[in-house]
Amino acid sequence: MLADVAKAQEVFHATLREAAQLAANSEAPRDRLWFFRNARWRCLEAGEQGLQAEDVDLEQDELAAWAPSQIEKLEPQQLAVWISGAPDPQRTALALFYLDEFNYRDLLSVTELKPPELSKLLCAGRRQFQAWLDATIPASQT
Amino acid sequence: MSAVQLSRKDKMLLHCAPIREERVDDRALRTALHHARKTEAFAVQQNFDKAAASLVQAIPIPQEITEWIPPDTFIAPTRRPWKNYAQNPAFLATGIAVLVITIIAIFQLVDRLNRFPGEPTARRLLTTASSTHAMMLDPVKTDAGAIGDFLFMKHRLVHYDVPPEFAELKTLGCRVFDDEEGQRVAQVWVVEKKMQFFLFPAERDPKTGKAREFSGWRNLEQERWAGVVKEDKGVCFMAATRGTAKDLAPYISKPKN
Repeated sequence: MLADVAKAQEVFHATLREAAQLAANSEAPRDRLWFFRNARWRCLEAGEQGLQAEDVDLEQDELAAWAPSQIEKLEPQQLAVWISGAPDPQRTALALFYLDEFNYRDLLSVTELKPPELSKLLCAGRRQFQAWLDATIPASQT
Repeated sequence: MSAVQLSRKDKMLLHCAPIREERVDDRALRTALHHARKTEAFAVQQNFDKAAASLVQAIPIPQEITEWIPPDTFIAPTRRPWKNYAQNPAFLATGIAVLVITIIAIFQLVDRLNRFPGEPTARRLLTTASSTHAMMLDPVKTDAGAIGDFLFMKHRLVHYDVPPEFAELKTLGCRVFDDEEGQRVAQVWVVEKKMQFFLFPAERDPKTGKAREFSGWRNLEQERWAGVVKEDKGVCFMAATRGTAKDLAPYISKPKN
């Protein structure tokens, strides 16, 4: 969400502190999704303070069969930077989806999106990422 | 390319399909996955997602964070809403079973409450009523209230009295016969509604020989015949007519002296 380890750690600690405080007041979070929702809002707040991505229509390409070999060549940090540069709610949808922690209902709940919105954002995100991959790591290099 | 045609809903769901199959717990999504399993486009999407997720998993988590993993005490114990319990097949099946048992129990309870001593004899006599013709009886035209004296004088049947509720009705005929158990039964035919009266000994306790008493009127219905039964001084009186208990209700609703 942030592509910044220090900021991410800050969000993590702040979220846990709030959970501990609530638990101490006998108002403990009802489920684990609370942690992700809370962290998401903190990330969005933190993201607003830094440089903002320009609102441009990114190019989209069809998903390629060789995409996995292109992705393999990436550093995790590159993917993190790409996702953190996406506008919200697409950034949230992609970050939480590729975290691979949620089922469909949980994902809708944490992202606070409707099914068609989530579907559209993920589909566009994949295609935009593929276009970026094609530009960064041309198929001839795979 | 596969020729499988996917609906718009399927396509929408497939874009959100979790990377790992064990995370698929939504029926519609599972159906969409089943439809798309053989399509090339979905296979490409899955491979793309798996590769991206592997990259995410490769992100090292700082030691400081792993040590801070929240203890379960931070999360309130889960309280499942009643709807979740209701939708659980096990609870649903148990609920239906309990409901059926309760209904049967209520039926049996009502049935038991309606039972009374002498009920089997009364039911047998209802069958007799349905197969009796007026010409089978000796003609006796009088008030039903007087038939008790007639039965005592002619047949020495003591306490074979018609209750006050039916005493004013006019009789057409009467006969006395022994039933299957050798009990003396009086049968009276009345003008009103082709009603028949039966007077028979109340059920007796086999140990003490004492008549089993019960209070008030009891209803019974059998094969489109209805009867109301009352016990008094060791003798049961039954008024029977073709129809339902409603046809006899007006007679017994107001007690008469």
